[in-house]
Amino acid sequence: MNDMVSKNRSIGNSVIRADILEKVTGKALYTADLKFSDLLHARIVRSPHPHANIISVDLSCAWNLSGVVDVLTPFNVPEGKVAPDLPILDTRVRFVGDEVAVVVAENELVAKEAINTIDVEYQILGFSVDIHQALSSGAIPIHAGGNLINGSALVESRGDVEQGFAKADIVLEESFTTPDHHPAALEPRAATAFWDGKLLRVYKTSRGIHADRSAISSALGLQLEQVEVIAPHLGGGFGSKDETRLAVLASVASMRSQKPVKIELDREEEFLAGRRRHSTQTKAKIGITHSGDITGIDVETIMDTGAYLSSGPGVVRRAGQAALYLYECPNVRYKGSLVYTNTPAAGSYRALGAPQGHFALESLIDRAANAIEMDPLDFRLKNHVSPKGQQGERVTPIGNIVDTQPVEGGIPFSSNCLRECLMTGSKMINWYDRDKYEYSTKKGAKIGVGMSMFVYRGGPGGKSSAVIDALDDGNYAVSLGVMDVGEGALTVLSQIAADSLEIGIDAIQIVVGNTSLTPKAPITAGSTVTFSTGKAIISAAHTLREQMTLKAAAYLRVPASDLKFDGTRFFCGKKTVSVRDLVLDNGGKISVSKTIEPGSTEHVINSFGAHFVKLRVDETIGSVEILKYVAVHDSGTIINPTLAQGQVRGGISQMLGYTFTEDMIIDKSTGIVLNANYLDHKSPTIRDIPKIDVVFVGENDPDGPYGAKSLGEPPSIGPAPAIANALYNATGKTYPNLPITMDRIIEGS
Amino acid sequence: MNLDKTTDINIIVNKKRYSITVDNRTTLLMLLREKLDLTGAKRGCDRGECGSCTVLLDSKSVNSCQVLACSIDGKEILTLEGISEKGELSFLQKSFVRNDGTQCGYCAPGFIMSAYSLLQTNYSPSEEQIKDSISGNLCRCNSYHTILEAIKLASKQSSDE
Repeated sequence: MNDMVSKNRSIGNSVIRADILEKVTGKALYTADLKFSDLLHARIVRSPHPHANIISVDLSCAWNLSGVVDVLTPFNVPEGKVAPDLPILDTRVRFVGDEVAVVVAENELVAKEAINTIDVEYQILGFSVDIHQALSSGAIPIHAGGNLINGSALVESRGDVEQGFAKADIVLEESFTTPDHHPAALEPRAATAFWDGKLLRVYKTSRGIHADRSAISSALGLQLEQVEVIAPHLGGGFGSKDETRLAVLASVASMRSQKPVKIELDREEEFLAGRRRHSTQTKAKIGITHSGDITGIDVETIMDTGAYLSSGPGVVRRAGQAALYLYECPNVRYKGSLVYTNTPAAGSYRALGAPQGHFALESLIDRAANAIEMDPLDFRLKNHVSPKGQQGERVTPIGNIVDTQPVEGGIPFSSNCLRECLMTGSKMINWYDRDKYEYSTKKGAKIGVGMSMFVYRGGPGGKSSAVIDALDDGNYAVSLGVMDVGEGALTVLSQIAADSLEIGIDAIQIVVGNTSLTPKAPITAGSTVTFSTGKAIISAAHTLREQMTLKAAAYLRVPASDLKFDGTRFFCGKKTVSVRDLVLDNGGKISVSKTIEPGSTEHVINSFGAHFVKLRVDETIGSVEILKYVAVHDSGTIINPTLAQGQVRGGISQMLGYTFTEDMIIDKSTGIVLNANYLDHKSPTIRDIPKIDVVFVGENDPDGPYGAKSLGEPPSIGPAPAIANALYNATGKTYPNLPITMDRIIEGS
Repeated sequence: MNLDKTTDINIIVNKKRYSITVDNRTTLLMLLREKLDLTGAKRGCDRGECGSCTVLLDSKSVNSCQVLACSIDGKEILTLEGISEKGELSFLQKSFVRNDGTQCGYCAPGFIMSAYSLLQTNYSPSEEQIKDSISGNLCRCNSYHTILEAIKLASKQSSDE
C-alpha cells in the first residue's frame, strides 16, 4: 500500500468539481427539469387541522373543472405503508399541512385551482403542539402506541453517574432548548412516476435511490424488480430528502392513469412536508473537582419528532455522543426521549442530534470552568478524550466491528487530533488575550471570544459496494449506489478511483443515480460516503488491477511480477499491451464488483474539531458582529482541499442561521407554522457571512481510505456553542436557548 | 377573473425571437421552463425570495417568478443558457468553475445572472457592490465565500480587458 500512496496523483489536489461545468451552464438537470410527453400534474390537498379524522371527501366541484383527471383520497389508494407509521394516505391527519388528497390534472394551473374546490369533512381531535402537551395524561395518542416513542427513553451509560457526582466538589446543572429548524434546501421535493404496465419508473429528489426503491416497492406491493428509481442532480438536501410519500403518491396516480405524473412541492409545502431538525429540551449536569477533573456527566434530552418518526431514533442517539464521549470521564449517562407531536415531521438534518447535544454540553463546560476559575481552553485541554479513548472495559466482542458511536471504554481511536485542533485554533484566535478586550471596545459594545469542540462518527456506514468496468475505449466506469447531494462525492470518489487504479482522473466515468445501473448502497448519510464507498472503490480497483495484470501477463507471456503499468499500458521490457487492447481481448469489458463492510474491529473511528469565535455584541440593540472565526478540523487526510473548505465554510454558515435566526414558529392555539417561507424563517445571505479561516490538522487515519475520515456534517456542530460561549465571555450572561435572537440578547438571556 | 384569457406576445429570448400565446396566469419563469425548455432558471420559492430564477429582462436582473409573461411583450430576455458565446463559457462562468462557486448547483443560475447584470454596467465593482448585487440570492449550501471570490475574479478579468 505504501508504494501506492507514493504514486498518488489526485488525492490531496483540488481537482475541479466533477459536475460544475453542467451546473454553471444550466445543463445540469434536476428532477423538476425533466421533460415527459403526455405528462399529468398533481397537487396535494393539505390538512388545515393539526389533528383530525377524515370522514369524507367531496370531489363533485373538482370534477366540474375541465382538465381534472383523477383525485386520490385515503378511501381509494392502496393500503400500503411508506414507513411503519406513514400510510400512503391516511384517514387521520396529524399536522397542519399533512397530506389529505391528491388532484391529478392536465396542467398545473388546473391542479392548483382544483385543490381549493375539494370539500373535506373532518372530525376534529385534540392536539399537542409541544412535547409537554403530548406527554400529559389527557393527550390523545398521535399514533397507536402512544406519544412517547417506544414507551421509554433511550438510556446509555458508562460507570455510575451518581457515584461520580458524589465525588465532585461542585455539581452544576443547566437547561437548554433548541428550535425546530428547517434545512430549506433551495430545490423543493419533486417526483415524476411512470408505470408502463410492467415497470414503475420513478424520477425523484433523492439521497438514497436504493432505499427509496425498497420503500416504494414495499408500499405498493410491487416486486423490487418492478421499480426503478432515477435521481438526477439534487438541489441540496442536507439530510432531509428522505421521505418517499410524494413519490408513492405520484406512483399511485400513474398506475391509475397509465401516464407519467409529476408532483412538485411549492416552498411552503417544502417547509411543512419536508423534514426539519428536531427541537430539544435538555437538562445537562456535570460534576467537577476544584482541580478541574470531571467526575460525572448526566444529560437528559427530550426531542420533538413531530407527526412522524422518520429517522428519529438515529437522531436521538446521536445527540448523546458529546455527553458520552467528548470528555474523559468514567461516569456518564445519556437519556434521550423522542415524542410525537402534531407538528411537521422532523428527520435527518446535517449531523443529526449532534449540534443539539454539543450545544448543551459545550455551553455547560464553560460554566464549569468559570465555577473553578479555570480558563475554558485549559479545562478542555485537561479533559478532552485522548487518542487512547475512554477508560473502561471493551464490551464489543474481539473481532467484531466497533460502533463509531460507542458507549464502552477500553477501545482506542484510529486517530484523534483533537488536542492539535485546540492548540492550533487557540493560537490563531490569540485565545489568552480574550480577557483584555472588554477595556478596548467602543461604547455599548463588548468583545468576546469563545470556543467549542466536538466529536462525530468518522465515516464507516453500512455495507458498501462499487463496480468498476474497464472499458474498450481505455476508460473506466465506476458504478456506485450512493448519490452526490451537492457535497462533491462524485469528485472525491473519482479521485479515490483514479489513484487506486493508478490512472489519470479523466479516464474515470462515475455512474450514479439509477437503481438499474448501480449496485445496492446505503443512503448518502451520516458523512459516510467518502469513507465507506471510498473503501469499496479501493477494494474493487485493486482486484481489477490484479486481474488485469494477470491477463496482461498471459497476453504478453511474461511473469506478472515483471510487469510495469504507466496508466494506460502494461510493460515488460519491450513487450507492451494497452488497457484498451487487453479489454478488447477479453470481450470488451473487464469488470469487478466488490462489497465491503466498512469499519474497524480494533478502533473507534471518529472525526474531531474545534471552533473559535471572536465577536462584538451590542446589548442595547441586540446586534452581533463576528470579527473572526477559526475552524480547525481533524478529518484525516483531506482528499480535495477546495471542496473540503467548501464543506466547512458551508456547514458553519448554514448554522449561523440556526444560531441567530432560523426557528419554525408554530402557533400554539392552531398548530399552524407561521413562517413557512424564506423571509420569516430567515436564512443567511452574503450579508450575514463572516470570513472563516479553515485549517485541517488530521493525520492519515490508518482505517480510512487513503487516511480520510468524515467531514460533511462535523462543521455544523461547532458554531452554536462557540458563539454562545463567546457571548458569555463578552457579557457574562448565559444564552441557553437557540436561536440567540436580537430580542434574547437585548433581554439578556 | 377569466381564467381562460390568453395574450399574444413577441419576445426575444437569448437572441432568438418568439411569438407565443400565453395563459395570463403564466409567469416568465413558467414560460421559460415549460414552453421554451430553458430550465436553467430554477423554481426555488415562486415568491421572489430566493433569487434562483433570476434572469435579465431588458438588461435588468429580475426574479422571473414575479413577472407575468403577458406583461413582457416586446422585451428581451437573457437567461443563463444565453451567456455562453458560441459554446465558449463567459469568464464569469469560468471563474465560477475555477473557484468552485457552487455545490449543489441549484442557486448557481441565479447568482451568475445577478452578477452578470452587475458586470454589464460596472466593469470593476467594489466588494460591497458585488455583495449588493447578490444580496437577493440565497445559497443554502452556503457557498457564499467561493461565489464572492468567483465574481471578484471575473470582475478583475473584465476590467483588465
